[in-house]
Amino acid sequence: MESPDIFTLLPLEMDATTKAISAQGTPSNALAAELQNLNTLHRALLSVDTSTGTPPPPVPVNPKRSAQIGKLRESGNTEFRKGNHAQAVRLYSLAIDMALGRPLWEPNGLVREEVSGLLSNRAQANMAQQNWAEGAVDAEASVEMKRVGNAKGWWRRGRCLVEMGRLEEAEQWVLQALEFESTEGDLLGLREEIEKRRK
Amino acid sequence: MWPFDAVDWLTLSIPFAYLTILIGSLAVFSNLYRKRKAAKAASLEPWFPPHIQRNVYLSLLHMENPKVPDSILKAALLRRATEDIHRIVQIREAKQAMQVLLQRGSVGDDLWQRFQRAEKEIEEELRDVVNEANAFAPNWGQVIFQSASEMAQNQRIRDRLSDILSTAPAEKEWWEKRKAEIQSNFMKELDDDEKKKADAAASKPSAKAGSDDDAVIVESGGPAEKAAKGKKKKGKH
Repeated sequence: MESPDIFTLLPLEMDATTKAISAQGTPSNALAAELQNLNTLHRALLSVDTSTGTPPPPVPVNPKRSAQIGKLRESGNTEFRKGNHAQAVRLYSLAIDMALGRPLWEPNGLVREEVSGLLSNRAQANMAQQNWAEGAVDAEASVEMKRVGNAKGWWRRGRCLVEMGRLEEAEQWVLQALEFESTEGDLLGLREEIEKRRK
Repeated sequence: MWPFDAVDWLTLSIPFAYLTILIGSLAVFSNLYRKRKAAKAASLEPWFPPHIQRNVYLSLLHMENPKVPDSILKAALLRRATEDIHRIVQIREAKQAMQVLLQRGSVGDDLWQRFQRAEKEIEEELRDVVNEANAFAPNWGQVIFQSASEMAQNQRIRDRLSDILSTAPAEKEWWEKRKAEIQSNFMKELDDDEKKKADAAASKPSAKAGSDDDAVIVESGGPAEKAAKGKKKKGKH
């Protein structure tokens, strides 16, 4: 990094109508990526409704989006109960996109919580359609977002792996899961089943 | 006048000259030494790569004709603060380890100097960002790093998530292939069993009774059992 009182002047220019910033000539990869991020952030910042035009502090959260996500999840759950698993997957996907579309300055803990629940639900809906591969990926993502207190997510990926016949992977996964959720009956049952099938 | 006549100026000048030369040479030495040290420290490789976000922000700030609107500058400042968060986290994480390593003599003095310089720079940088933020909106300086830290975290989890979710198509393809394989194997097994059964049935009349009959019974038990097993498996998939 340069010392505090100097900086490198970059050859930047601004599009007069779209206000998008771009570099003159052929920029380096890092600069191009940075400018793209900057323009995206700028667009997000324009929709902020604070008087100063700066992002509000992380808390309190704008309740509008949370309500919408909750609504999508509810309708997804209803479809799932009715047996329309494909429709449920679609609704959960919409809800996940919406949760990930939260402005970046909103609390990341909230995003983790919402997304992990939704992914876990989507995994279940995928499993109900016997889409084991998608179910496994969704459950893995759900666990990545929330490791502790997500026994269902752990179990679902384990189940999918067993169904696909990847017993070794499943065993590893379940052992790892038991480190976090050592008393979960479902996981213990799954481990026994894997051991039985491996014999 | 009394005192001035009695003083021997020549002899008195000797201690004064001595003192002047001594202090002067010490001052020159310390001055040179410090300059050299500073030059050496400056010539060491910086800890962090160039701060692109800072350069972008300052370049935008100095852009005349047309002037960049405030909203873009705010976005650029946020990007800069986010990068600062990454850097300060790195520095904090490295500090403990660096101190221990330095005490044990495992790392050289150069590395420690580079580290200290980076630390000083980042402090300066944070102060600068807070001042800039306060210039845009009153009290923004107090929350800009909260926002920036959330942004850094959020970016990280989104990257991680998209990494995982992007494996879904490949996984699906693998599973489709595997499923087809299992099915074709199963069908082949079934066919083989059928053929064996047919062969056994064909060879039955010409063969002797007794032992061959037993074989047929065993073989006819085989496919039925296998078929039942296969069916169960198929139902699960």
